[in-house]
Amino acid sequence: MTGKGFSAMSILRAHKVKLYRSTTGDIVIFSILAVIAAFMAMPMVYTIGNAFKPLSEIFIFPPQFLPRHPTMDNFYDLFVLMGQSWVPISRYLFNSLLIVALGTAGNVIFGSLCAYALAKHNFPGKRAINQAILLSLMFAGAVLLIPHYLIMSYLGWINTYWAIIVPAWGATLGVFLMRNFIEHMVHDTLLEAARMDGASEWQCYWHVVMPIVKPAWLTLIILSFQQLWADQGALFLYAEELKPLPYALSQIIGGGVGRAGVAAAVTVLLMAVPITVFVINQSQIVETMGTSGITGE
Amino acid sequence: MRLSFERQKKIGGFLFTLPFVIGFFLFFLYPLIQAVIFSFNELVLTSTTFELQPRGWENYRYALQVHPEFTRTFVEVMVQLLTRLPLIIAFSFFAATLLNQEFRGRALVRALFFLPVIMSAGIVMRLETSDYSVIMLEASRAGAIFGGNALRSLLGDSGYMPTWLLDYVVQAAESLPVVIRSSGVQILIFLAGLQSIPREIYEAVSVEGATPWERFWLITFPMLSPLILTNVIYTIVDSLTAMNNQLVVLIRDTMLRGAGYGASMAMAMIYFVAIAIILLIVYRLISRRIFYYV
Repeated sequence: MTGKGFSAMSILRAHKVKLYRSTTGDIVIFSILAVIAAFMAMPMVYTIGNAFKPLSEIFIFPPQFLPRHPTMDNFYDLFVLMGQSWVPISRYLFNSLLIVALGTAGNVIFGSLCAYALAKHNFPGKRAINQAILLSLMFAGAVLLIPHYLIMSYLGWINTYWAIIVPAWGATLGVFLMRNFIEHMVHDTLLEAARMDGASEWQCYWHVVMPIVKPAWLTLIILSFQQLWADQGALFLYAEELKPLPYALSQIIGGGVGRAGVAAAVTVLLMAVPITVFVINQSQIVETMGTSGITGE
Repeated sequence: MRLSFERQKKIGGFLFTLPFVIGFFLFFLYPLIQAVIFSFNELVLTSTTFELQPRGWENYRYALQVHPEFTRTFVEVMVQLLTRLPLIIAFSFFAATLLNQEFRGRALVRALFFLPVIMSAGIVMRLETSDYSVIMLEASRAGAIFGGNALRSLLGDSGYMPTWLLDYVVQAAESLPVVIRSSGVQILIFLAGLQSIPREIYEAVSVEGATPWERFWLITFPMLSPLILTNVIYTIVDSLTAMNNQLVVLIRDTMLRGAGYGASMAMAMIYFVAIAIILLIVYRLISRRIFYYV
């Protein structure tokens, strides 16, 4: 009996090492990944290359991936142009960061709160809300622009940050995603156990549900971040000092062909932020409670 | 005692959903109702505000019978979706399982797969339109079409394949670059799902002697099946409501410089109902086959 248990343990140990490891498998996986990743990376490599090319090289045909005479001129030009802007560039950056931070935080917190209730509670009107969420996902945002503007105008939010931030809080994709994860990944028994021990609903949400679905809300942060980061606020923000960074930069590069190099530099800067966030975010996922907390009944 | 606990849970449920519900009414339902009203009217701007002139079903008749491109684009968009949907789901599932392996620089490679989503957002996309990446995309598409033709002559000559299947295979090969590019979010969703599967289960079946193949089909696949539904819905919604979807472009053009706002809202409503029907069918089909762990 003990012998059997022991051998099971050793198999387990052997497999723990092997679970995600096999040499041929690794080679195959790496080569497949490398091919697709190269395909994905090409436009970015080209743009980064452009950012370091002198203007004379940008329009060479056939296009070159790497600059022959790398230069930082485009970035210098960009900083000079930024320095000349009427509203200091730091103000645009502040606007962007404020919108992105508040919008994303609200989206994740309100979305997951709602999702928790929808996934693990029973209350009248739950079905209706679930259907409403699906319903609102189906509608292209572009179509609702005019009614959207009218509402902001009734609320007196035109030309305030709220016109961008608050709608992000009600973005349904977050609720939809989080609900599906919480419903399928969080064990009811775990919640019951927590309630037995006297946890309040808030504690259940914050200490049980959220740690388990950490991969899900990390994903939601990325989605929300990159959407808000790209937002130029064109429809709702008119005051120059309220506009976000992408708007300011798109103005700078609107100066025609001569700014092609600067445009590439802008693209690199604007892309660098979401990519950095993405990489940091994805390396946060180590082992969540869902993968370490409960063993089967 | 029990009743009050249940009551408490209900109130908790209400409170937790409240912020979202308020936002939903304000920023979605109300605009939607207005859009429905607009679709039966013509919007006329006056010097200070706007007026509605009732037109009954005229806008809908216009969209379906008069507008030269609406119905054709509508059919095209739907066919395109049906071809790409299974491919996107299969590819993102495959890519997610690969990206979930442990290797150095994993976060970076994941970022590469997510890159198209970042690049297609806002300013970056506008910058790119005049750029080399467009040439790249065109080139890869041309390559895919070339490959598709080769595939057609290869498979077509053998004569084993029914025509509809052959058409599908060729079309699938041709849209591969687009498929890879539009799988970014789906890959992330599957990845998050993979990371949420308790590792103990894998260890347990490994003890029982399951091969990797069995582990995949007996654990990974059923555990991820709820997210397949999530991703199918996301893919349908994402590709049908994207800013550069042909039909959305057509509706927006109609709104801004075509037959007017009322007509464009009528088109949007027809489109909306179609999407709803598709989602309903898909939901019915898939939700029965899902494995429920909880």
